[in-house]
Amino acid sequence: MAEFSAAVYQNEFLPDGGTDVNAIVTITCQGAGTAGQSGAGSAGEIIIVDTSGSMGPSTMAAAKEAAQAALAEIVDGTYFAVIAGADRAMLAYPQVSSGPGMVRMDARTRQEAAAAIGRFVGSGGTAISTWLDLAGQLFGSVAEVTQRHVLLLTDGENRERPGRLDDAINRATGYFQADCRGAGTDWQVAEIRRIAQALLGTVDIIPRPAEMKAQFEEIMRNAMSRGVADASLRVWTPQGAEVLFVRQVSPTVEDLTNRRTPVNPLTGDYPTGAWSDESRDYHVAIRVPAKAIGQEQLAARVQLALGSDVVTQALVKATWSGNSELTTRIDQQVAHYTGQAELAQMIQEGLAAKAAGDEATATTKLGRAVQLAAETGNDEATSKLRKVVDVDSEETGTVRLKRAVDKADEMALDTASTKTTRIRKEPTS
Amino acid sequence: MTCPSCGAALAPGARFCESCGAPVGTTAPGPAPVAATSGDHPLGDAPISAPTRKPAGTLPDPPAPAGRRPCTECGGEVGADLYCLECGTKAPSERDHFEEHPASWVAGVCDKAVRKNRNEDAMALLAGAEPGSRAVLIVMDGVSNSIDSDVASLAGARAAREVLRVPLPSGMGTPESRDAAVRKVLTAAVAAANTAIVAVTDPDSPNPASATFTAAVLEGRRITWANVGDSRSYWLPDAGRPVQLTTDDSLAQAQIADGIAREVAESGPQAHAITKWLGRDAEDLTPTVGSLEVTEPGWLLACSDGLWNYASTPEEMHAQVRAAATADPAGPADPAALALALVAFANAAGGHDNITAAVARVDLGQNDQTPTPAPAGTSGGEPSDG
Repeated sequence: MAEFSAAVYQNEFLPDGGTDVNAIVTITCQGAGTAGQSGAGSAGEIIIVDTSGSMGPSTMAAAKEAAQAALAEIVDGTYFAVIAGADRAMLAYPQVSSGPGMVRMDARTRQEAAAAIGRFVGSGGTAISTWLDLAGQLFGSVAEVTQRHVLLLTDGENRERPGRLDDAINRATGYFQADCRGAGTDWQVAEIRRIAQALLGTVDIIPRPAEMKAQFEEIMRNAMSRGVADASLRVWTPQGAEVLFVRQVSPTVEDLTNRRTPVNPLTGDYPTGAWSDESRDYHVAIRVPAKAIGQEQLAARVQLALGSDVVTQALVKATWSGNSELTTRIDQQVAHYTGQAELAQMIQEGLAAKAAGDEATATTKLGRAVQLAAETGNDEATSKLRKVVDVDSEETGTVRLKRAVDKADEMALDTASTKTTRIRKEPTS
Repeated sequence: MTCPSCGAALAPGARFCESCGAPVGTTAPGPAPVAATSGDHPLGDAPISAPTRKPAGTLPDPPAPAGRRPCTECGGEVGADLYCLECGTKAPSERDHFEEHPASWVAGVCDKAVRKNRNEDAMALLAGAEPGSRAVLIVMDGVSNSIDSDVASLAGARAAREVLRVPLPSGMGTPESRDAAVRKVLTAAVAAANTAIVAVTDPDSPNPASATFTAAVLEGRRITWANVGDSRSYWLPDAGRPVQLTTDDSLAQAQIADGIAREVAESGPQAHAITKWLGRDAEDLTPTVGSLEVTEPGWLLACSDGLWNYASTPEEMHAQVRAAATADPAGPADPAALALALVAFANAAGGHDNITAAVARVDLGQNDQTPTPAPAGTSGGEPSDG
């Protein structure tokens, strides 16, 4: 049985008249087990491979091999299906036209599915909305499947009427999760990130076909280790308070503020999807009415809920104090993740400005990103940024845009922008 | 054997003194040990009864009743995490905020106050069920720069309560003998409080706990008080002139005695420096004692400086009681609401120190009131003198 624990990091002391409370809540899950094995329902996995005409021979060959490797990672007994995606979605396996669209994994079905994948041929366009909709139908055809996960691979830009993809994302949101990967550099990071963020999954670039197999195996292994099918971050705030934002800040930055489902007038749920043995950090910012110096009050109860069961809770407090030594300190974790969230924003906005030809804005934003990456010790972001800009000074954030940039490096910077590092060890001062 | 009242020799088994007529022996009213003293010769520090000298153990902070008492701020339900489920206000611990309501006409609130981190005030109340019968209000204020004064003040107040659990003695019939007997009991109550404080004080404490003491006892129409330090008792009649019963043992009070205006003295830098206190390092435990016969309905109030800081004169305090009484939908005679209102007033006024307010409602009974002239029904005719 999975066990959850919560820890809160904050400076609870507010100055006279202070209203804004910031806290980092770390939620840790242990003993999650394996997807679909908790007895509460079965897990379902759907692999979607882009089979549009744009898939070159080497990419297609690698995609087939990777999808077959992913099959090997799916635990026996798990329901699964394989979709070939082009300008419409085709159910490649199981080859049925009615009834349940997923089958349980065993040696035979794994082999049959691998054979079906081996027959993929690239042709046609890219209509990702149809892929998502078919995945939703397949999950819906097996009532027993309660934990739903998709692995989606594409290599190109979506070619649909504006709005179609967003509608499909909306239909899938809250129903299944999706980890998305882009092969090569002809796909749109922002577009695929939209899918992954809404469907509580990851996005990344696979620049070279040779890396595809390892990535697929890892994604599927991770999916199979998520023994807790679905959980919500439940946030209670006192009457008269306002939730400024709720963000996941580790392992990646995901703004959850607008994804609130009200539980009661004071409480809302934010989706977190399935959990494996892992630790995630959330940044919660609450505005409460100021109280007199010396008063203490609760600014938020941050809980993890499995259905209606609250499995762990952290208390975010506010204490008004006249002691400026207490009130002016900023919690290290809060400062760290505030910087990391801004880092993600600066990278994305800087790259968008660069793409739009606004070099002045791009230089400023990416310069700030370099500065933040250095300050918060995000070495991965620093090294990825250095492939896009020449750094004159990390301290001041003075950079120049590189004249010749590998498109894959720029996309890798973009997809990795939301990845955060955990805080460095407390300085021993 | 001699008469406890006049000292004359008694015959074995006598129930009354042959010389002065005072009752003696087993039928004597009131606690015998007290009755056995002469007014001018109190028994010094000797124990008057066993229970008062029983060393009080350290009273643990009782656990807060989770989810039971509604939120003090909004009245909402308090969660298992001891924060209100509605407004998030932290539920005070039992020690930080407690209320006593021993009878319908007596109640008190002892509160940490918004600006303090700890409640070093203490309170212990007693009351007979019959309104106006008998009430004991004890308030102690632990000195904030001494160690563990919160533990000490509560232990002291509860020990003093044990001494005052039985009615005050009435002496041998003369006001002098009664006053002496009462003084003896009140002195014993202070001594018991002090014993309890010393008992909970770490023998090695570099800064032993100390506290003030005020007790107000109402028995019928008579209020008796005793005081050490700067906690206070007031008599606040509904219509008549309000009075501060106790006199502070403080530098401010000494300055007032020297002719300095009260508002100047009480706002000076040493306003809260007390000249007498209870505790291991106490120099003088003799309380100032007094009594008053009340003639009209009103409120008896015992409080700490956390309250009177914001309404020091009897008139100011009276105005607060009136304001609370008019604002209270439960009517002017609800002591619990009044005590809460007084604490709320002090918190709203700044709440810089722990606040204790204990009140007893005095509604003189039908029998006690000035008899209205009876209609001359029996005579039936005009007086005539022939």
